[in-house]
Amino acid sequence: MEFGSIIKTAEETKVSIALAFPDVYEVGMSYLGFKILYHILNAQPGVAAERTYAPWVDMEAKMRENSLPLTSLETMKALNKFDFVGFTLQYELSYSNILNMLDLGGITMLATERTEDDPLVIAGGPCVFNPEPLADFIDFFIVGEGEEVMVEVMDLYKKWKNEGKPGGRKEFLERVVQIPGIYVPSFYKVDYLEKETQGIPAGCVKSVTTVNSLAPTAVQKRIINDLNTIDYPTKPIVPYGEIVHDRIMLEIFRGCSRGCRFCHAGMVYRPVRERKPEVLKKLARQLVDNTGYNEMSLVSLSTADYSCLEPLIHDLINEFKEEKVSVSLPSLRIDSFSVGLAKEVQAVRKSGLTFAPEAGSQHMRDVINKGVTKEDLMNAVGAAFENGWSQVKLYFMLGLPGETDEDILAIAELAKAVQGKYKEVTGKGGAKVTVSVASFVPKPYTPFQWVGQNRLEEINRKQMLLKDALKIKNITYQYHDSITSVIEGVFARGDRRLGKALYLAWQRGAKFDGWSEHFSYDRWVQAISDAGLDKDFYATRERAEAEVFPWEHIQPGVSRQFLWNEYEKSKTGTLTDDCRHGDCTGCGVCPALDAKIIDWKSSVL
Amino acid sequence: MKLRMQITKEAGIRFVSHLEYTRTIERAIRRAKLPVAYSEGFNPHIKFSLASALGVGITSQAEFVEIELAKEIDITVAVEKLTEALPMGIHIKAADVVGSKTPKLMAIASGADYYVRIPCFGDCLEQLQRFNSAESVLFQKPIPKGRGKTKEIQVKDFIKKVEYDYSNKELELRFACKITTTGSMKATELLKILRDQFSVPLILEQADIQRTDLYAVNDKGRKKMLIGN
Repeated sequence: MEFGSIIKTAEETKVSIALAFPDVYEVGMSYLGFKILYHILNAQPGVAAERTYAPWVDMEAKMRENSLPLTSLETMKALNKFDFVGFTLQYELSYSNILNMLDLGGITMLATERTEDDPLVIAGGPCVFNPEPLADFIDFFIVGEGEEVMVEVMDLYKKWKNEGKPGGRKEFLERVVQIPGIYVPSFYKVDYLEKETQGIPAGCVKSVTTVNSLAPTAVQKRIINDLNTIDYPTKPIVPYGEIVHDRIMLEIFRGCSRGCRFCHAGMVYRPVRERKPEVLKKLARQLVDNTGYNEMSLVSLSTADYSCLEPLIHDLINEFKEEKVSVSLPSLRIDSFSVGLAKEVQAVRKSGLTFAPEAGSQHMRDVINKGVTKEDLMNAVGAAFENGWSQVKLYFMLGLPGETDEDILAIAELAKAVQGKYKEVTGKGGAKVTVSVASFVPKPYTPFQWVGQNRLEEINRKQMLLKDALKIKNITYQYHDSITSVIEGVFARGDRRLGKALYLAWQRGAKFDGWSEHFSYDRWVQAISDAGLDKDFYATRERAEAEVFPWEHIQPGVSRQFLWNEYEKSKTGTLTDDCRHGDCTGCGVCPALDAKIIDWKSSVL
Repeated sequence: MKLRMQITKEAGIRFVSHLEYTRTIERAIRRAKLPVAYSEGFNPHIKFSLASALGVGITSQAEFVEIELAKEIDITVAVEKLTEALPMGIHIKAADVVGSKTPKLMAIASGADYYVRIPCFGDCLEQLQRFNSAESVLFQKPIPKGRGKTKEIQVKDFIKKVEYDYSNKELELRFACKITTTGSMKATELLKILRDQFSVPLILEQADIQRTDLYAVNDKGRKKMLIGN
């Protein structure tokens, strides 16, 4: 077992939970959320939290051939022997793996058919803000940050178990639903419009009502008000093999209030809450001592926005210089300040720098509220080139609302301008520019939740348009499979009727859909249609303002009115400021959650 | 000054690759906070090396690591610290300190002993004798990254004979394998030769292979331990 893993004996274990990541070990072990929960849960007396991952297809074949169940790593216990199996919902295309893992773990697939012998199957993570496509398979969801609520759930289970599990699963669900942040899908009934009503088509949600009086009408997300008060994993597991993010992850803050209108994380993780620099330095020291890693990444949704970043980086670099521990930043803001920081942290290695203008034209960037100009980008890459970089990667999205062909061609223009800047700064050509383009998928709880996603043919056409425009020396064009975005789009804004499609697709072999070699578009389209559903209804349909969405009884705190206003503003390209430094934008999160922004610079001054 | 240690690679981590095993040791050294020497350059790394790479799936009682130190340390303290920092599956069996100028372990390791337990369904004694008495056994050894290309090697240059013990459909083998500057042989290759060229009915996938020793060989052809002399 890896260094730092925790194995509890059967005698020590009153309640057991398998933290299940629906992808391979190397991906799952890189996920900070489970590092945190593993630590917090195992610190509880009587609680044993173990890990399990999706076996790769060759391993799965061997397991099935030899009738071996999927087990945890720690005690090699089959998943169906746990009290809880907890999945994280990181991306929609991992849902088929959840079903496959339940099957491999010997757990009854449908929540309604589970018996007292089955574990309670629970789930949380970013996609929990529309958990409806998984409603058939999950006993209850944990909405929001898990540090406190997971412990409350474990305590409740211990108590119920000590009492002799009165009332069985149903009673446990009735008890657990009374904990804030818990969503029990079977306690809710969804009605759909039978015919078009006030411009809203038949098949849309008419209402979501509770069928158990103990269930709240809406489940509010849980957050940790002050990150400085909670435990952070300072002894994470150090794997033998190389994982995707093979370094120390120091989480410096949560939330982001820049307000990019496409960004799901920016809306659902509000408000911004920073850790104190002193706390971070202490954590960093313990992490270096306990792991032996020689690299530390300062993680958050937008690391360059940490209010005390410069002094923090200085202090960390000085502290760990002798031990040859480097500090890295996962993302850069588009300004020269960020380039200066990048120069400092990777003092020597001149690998490429990555920026995310997200859109090519100023109009499009204003539509998405990116708040970045061409001049900002030119200053940033200019600074990078002056400091010796010659490779730049630029991230964009295709298929944004209201996008024209001109907007797309502007991406190529921007890439050329970056090359031009290199010539201007260095007097020679040859800057390598990589243009990486993703297809935009509208997500719930963003201002674009009303938007129709581009059709597959349209995305393909736009990709080719850009490809032709980017046939330029030293510019590399990378783009994602458009077909995966279609299915991602269906499930992102889907309802619980999609459970059937998911089940059919899994039965027909869907797994590892996030891996293009395993993704079959035809299989998904067929499964959706065999479930009596229409993919375009979910993905490409523009919604009316008053439409009731399938996810609105799960609440991240941002108000519907704020999101709609933002959508309206996007149509005219009107910007909204970051509330962190400017005025309150009225998103509603702070009053809804009784929380406040924690920004150390402002609070010190 | 260099710290040399004999360490294990036990059954629980037998499928960890050589690169992963090396990285695991490096992290343990860092956790133990030994006063190690770093390489120069932009990407400084700890100056340490292993004597010989072990194939995936093989356990070992005799892996050797040497770590270059920046200053002197008490060997007992170092072993204590490292023991605490090592993950499951790696133990320190012996430790020693040598001067910086001592030749690298990699350069002096010239032989390895193996112990194999493997299911064997049928007669094998006569075939094994035939292997032992053969003057020449040739093998087409795949060239690393050679895209299926092979080169012919003389097995007897590396493995002279095997000791064996057969009972209850299980064959136990013990043999010494020479390591030269231009290469060596894998234990799995010998098993393949025994099966394919000498018709020993082995189930290769179920072989349990252990490296029991790794050593230098002196001018007289005698075994010489890598540390502690």
